[in-house]
Amino acid sequence: MTTTSAEALTALILSARGVRPQSLANAEAEEVLNIALALLIELSVSNDRIDRLERMVAALRDEPVSALRDVRYDGEAAQERQEAMEALLARVLRIMLDPRVQPPAAAAS
Amino acid sequence: MKVRDLQHAVLPETSAEQRSRQEAVVALRRLLNTRVRPRNVEAFASEAQPAFIAAYGRAPQSPEEVQRAFLLSPSYRRWSAANRAAQEMIWVSVGEPIYRDLDRMRAAARALVTAPDRKGSLNLDPDYDPSAEVADVDIHLQPGGYAMDRGEDDVVAGALYECGGNVFSFGQGIGRADSKAGVVIRLLDERFGGLRPQRILDIGCSAGAASAAYAAHYPDAEVHAVDIGGAMLRYAHARAESLGVGVHFHQMDASAMTFADGSFDLVVSHNLMHEIGEAKRRAMMREARRLVRPGGVVIHQDVAIRDQPTIVHQVERDWDTHFNGEVHWSTYATADLRADMRAAGFAADEIVEHDLAAVQGFAGNRWYAISARKPA
Repeated sequence: MTTTSAEALTALILSARGVRPQSLANAEAEEVLNIALALLIELSVSNDRIDRLERMVAALRDEPVSALRDVRYDGEAAQERQEAMEALLARVLRIMLDPRVQPPAAAAS
Repeated sequence: MKVRDLQHAVLPETSAEQRSRQEAVVALRRLLNTRVRPRNVEAFASEAQPAFIAAYGRAPQSPEEVQRAFLLSPSYRRWSAANRAAQEMIWVSVGEPIYRDLDRMRAAARALVTAPDRKGSLNLDPDYDPSAEVADVDIHLQPGGYAMDRGEDDVVAGALYECGGNVFSFGQGIGRADSKAGVVIRLLDERFGGLRPQRILDIGCSAGAASAAYAAHYPDAEVHAVDIGGAMLRYAHARAESLGVGVHFHQMDASAMTFADGSFDLVVSHNLMHEIGEAKRRAMMREARRLVRPGGVVIHQDVAIRDQPTIVHQVERDWDTHFNGEVHWSTYATADLRADMRAAGFAADEIVEHDLAAVQGFAGNRWYAISARKPA
């Protein structure tokens, strides 16, 4: 039976022993940092996949990969890209845009 | 023989995506090591020491106080948290392909170690209980540790050690062509008259990279190698067979080996001293001297973390003790190894300490070694 990636990762995670020492003053912040760094690695993995596809398409089109990448958006396409970029920023930075800030006293209690 | 980044039959098969993940972890660790970590000592002066003085009314004095001060520095804490995360991601990046491909790897290993034309051997001791001071710790956070053995045909510990070691080393700036065995072979040529050993013992061989490199470099020599874990040694044996070299692997404790006195021309240990406690290290050194023949050479090679210029550098370097499962890191770094070699039976004028350039690496990597020749 094939072992899935999730099963393999679970086996690995469950085999680790010992107490995990904390570096940051706040355990939640350290967890978030770990998640952010893991996503950084996964973004790099995705970038590699895009790169492989770009090179494949460039080869199929018989043109240098630099030509494929040298796209300058204008007109309607530029507007679409701008809107998509702003939506991405809003999704990622949502917490900074959210007006529902908890007063410090309530946060501490 | 190359020892890192080699292809052989017992390695897990990896997809392009899995290789991308490992390369990204290498790049992250390289950035942390070369561009962030060097600022730690400066952060001690600018953040840690002032915070400690503010809290206690005086400067930190002992290593314990310097460590406490470091943890008052936000810059140090951020680096430490990121470095710990990166170390853990090494094991995630190599562990996933290993556990996914394990059935094939186990079958490949079984075929290699039972092949009629095998060159080496595997001698496991079912009565040996791996030394708890090593076996009970996830050294450098390797999940399950050096001695994890999940039963017949298991090779996970060896595969994790080799694959994780590659990702770790490349992120540390150690070159793909570097070799600790290569460093010792060069030392034998330069300092020991080009000794051509006929019988070699590699103590604490782990996945057998150095053992196999000796067997390849000295094809007429008989190479024996010792470690504590069954799965580690199964992998090491299969790896050596896949590479076409003969090594005889033994499950034994480095502090009490069963070979006859004077039975080796060369006794080496690679990166073992920092993985064992003081008493076992001294016993291992005594055993090394007992096992080398008159005129033979003992070389214990390890990481170059000794001789730090200040207590701040020393404590900074000691991060691995607290955050990386390297429980004997500091013990090794501050040990009087010359005294240990004398206690093992060598005369003071037979002992030489070496600061050795790596065979290859981009970050000026160096290795430490202490050697002695037994009088003929």
